[in-house]
Amino acid sequence: MIYIFFAIWILVAAATFFARSRKMVHSLYLIYLVSHAIFGLNLLFGGAYLSTSGEFFTFDQIGTLFYVLLFVVSCYVFIHSEEYLKDDTIVNYRNYFALLMLLTAAITGVYFANNIAITWILLETTTLCAAGIIYHRHSKATLEATWKYLFVCSTGIAIAYLGILLLCATASNNSLNYNDLQHLIINGNPLYLKAAFLLILTGYSCKMEIFPLYTIGVDANFAAPAPASAMISTGLVNAGFLAIFRIYKLFSTTEVFPWVKNVMLIIGLLSLMVGALFLRRTNNYKRFLSYSTVENMGIVAIGLGIGGIGVWAAIFHVVCHTFIKSSLFLQIAIVRQIYNGYRINRIGDYININKVGAIGLLLGMIAVLAFPPSPLFISELMIMMEALTLRGWWVLAIMVLLICIVIFTVCHRMIKLCYQSNQDELHLSNINRRLSYSALSLLVFALVIGFWQPTILRDIIDKIAMF
Amino acid sequence: MLLTLIILYIISLIYISIVERFRNYASIIAIQGWILLGIALLRLHSLDWVELSFIVIETLVFKALIVPAILTRVINQTRINRIRTSGTSQFNSLMLSVVALIISAIMTYYIADSSINMVFFGVALYAMLSGLILIVLRSRIFTHMVGFLVIENGVFLFSMAIGVEMPMLINAAIMLDILMSVLMLGMFMTKVDHKIHTDDSDSLTRVKD
Repeated sequence: MIYIFFAIWILVAAATFFARSRKMVHSLYLIYLVSHAIFGLNLLFGGAYLSTSGEFFTFDQIGTLFYVLLFVVSCYVFIHSEEYLKDDTIVNYRNYFALLMLLTAAITGVYFANNIAITWILLETTTLCAAGIIYHRHSKATLEATWKYLFVCSTGIAIAYLGILLLCATASNNSLNYNDLQHLIINGNPLYLKAAFLLILTGYSCKMEIFPLYTIGVDANFAAPAPASAMISTGLVNAGFLAIFRIYKLFSTTEVFPWVKNVMLIIGLLSLMVGALFLRRTNNYKRFLSYSTVENMGIVAIGLGIGGIGVWAAIFHVVCHTFIKSSLFLQIAIVRQIYNGYRINRIGDYININKVGAIGLLLGMIAVLAFPPSPLFISELMIMMEALTLRGWWVLAIMVLLICIVIFTVCHRMIKLCYQSNQDELHLSNINRRLSYSALSLLVFALVIGFWQPTILRDIIDKIAMF
Repeated sequence: MLLTLIILYIISLIYISIVERFRNYASIIAIQGWILLGIALLRLHSLDWVELSFIVIETLVFKALIVPAILTRVINQTRINRIRTSGTSQFNSLMLSVVALIISAIMTYYIADSSINMVFFGVALYAMLSGLILIVLRSRIFTHMVGFLVIENGVFLFSMAIGVEMPMLINAAIMLDILMSVLMLGMFMTKVDHKIHTDDSDSLTRVKD
């Protein structure tokens, strides 16, 4: 089934590359979204759920959960992009939408891939699509960001490939299916297994935006148009998380699993530290939100590193972070249209300029900082309690210290945007309150989950975390 | 024959650490492509046309012909012929390269077991370390690109070190990786130098905190 949809998505994207008017692009992206909706409905209600499509794709719980999130976010991203790029030339406009379609299709493939090589290939494909989006403005800064993105991602993906090769050597078999590998590597050489995990984790860290290759995700978010950053910072980051999570699960039956968890814990703490420190250092709101992603993915990695209920909390954290971060990026896109920039020290008074947008940002601040009723409060609390039980006080102490820095910095910067006096030129005609409301609605999803987690969501995460 | 090619490959890696002219970098990358073709043909399990055509396309067409041609075109367009003189000296680079070779040999001795070919594993490791050394020590973007290509060649050798036969899927993935390299080179050639007017990675500092 998925191959037919891949063909449709690629054809629609190809047609978009040749669209002659905005209206045509609009129609094509509607067709694209409708095809995704049909795919999703077939997945959920047409009996495809938990089945296998061809040799390389399985519609498992985690893939389906992340796909639903991707679909919701992509609908918002496409609609916001249309307004955001209204002054662009038709060539830039259609290229952007076509690449966004291809990126979404590649991410969908990553979610459902049941083969380590397919995951790797599709992650590499996301690099190509994302690079085109990052270069959208054709400026020196975007060119530099694109160059760095391609260079580091390619190196990262090559490193991950080495890890896959080592894993194959350990398995002594040419099957690259996750289920087969899980059985084949149980008695593998521990040294090779450790080296393979480190290499794959390092390679995929550029997609999940965690230490060590996190910088490239920050640069990508900075250079890409803000609605696309919402996609990169959630859909693509989730793809990176899923690729790492599948490897993590693969190793859960091996004797090196305690070591794997220790590595995840260290990587998580380092990511949290980098995120916390760079949040203070940056002078750009988009980079600021990107470092917040690094910080949150650090917390997710800590959850995996702790294990037990931490794994459940980590997946729940990723789900809720998707809604919150995409909402914040879409809000910041409106900020950019009003101020024509993201400079933290210069722009302000947003509460008087666009009250809905400012409330959206302040609520987003509360949600991303895990203040109740944010759903992140639940996941962070669970991770901290499990850290105290399984890892001792030192992990908890470091986490609390770094999270305090994050809370202070995020509050300081967001309140500055809303209340400090503005020093930049305003473009008030660009205020679009409908888009502010629209971005706010994404946040409402997250806050509802904070109050009430549907049984179906809890059951799915239970099944994903049970291994 | 295989051992001769491996020794030639190691010599090319040592030589690349002391090279200062960009044309020599392009030549070494081309030579490495030819050597890899020879090694891959000698390691061919059977006369399978699909596998053979893949090897020829990857090593001969891409690594030995297209990529060096693009590098040469970059040199002609940018008219930058040498690495920066203020960079690390040839002697220090050579010493670092030799240290990397020794480290690779020691690591191979301790790591490799029956499932991995020790010679290929050691040389692949040395190639990857050489690529990293190039990227770290040299400041020009061109040299970084060459460093990346050396790493890619190392990855190719590493895949040969693994005893199991990789499915066509992995071969397709490698082709995608090469496509990526060519894309990077193309972008480098047509855009970076033209737009940023830089021959120095220090100038790529607009995107930072």
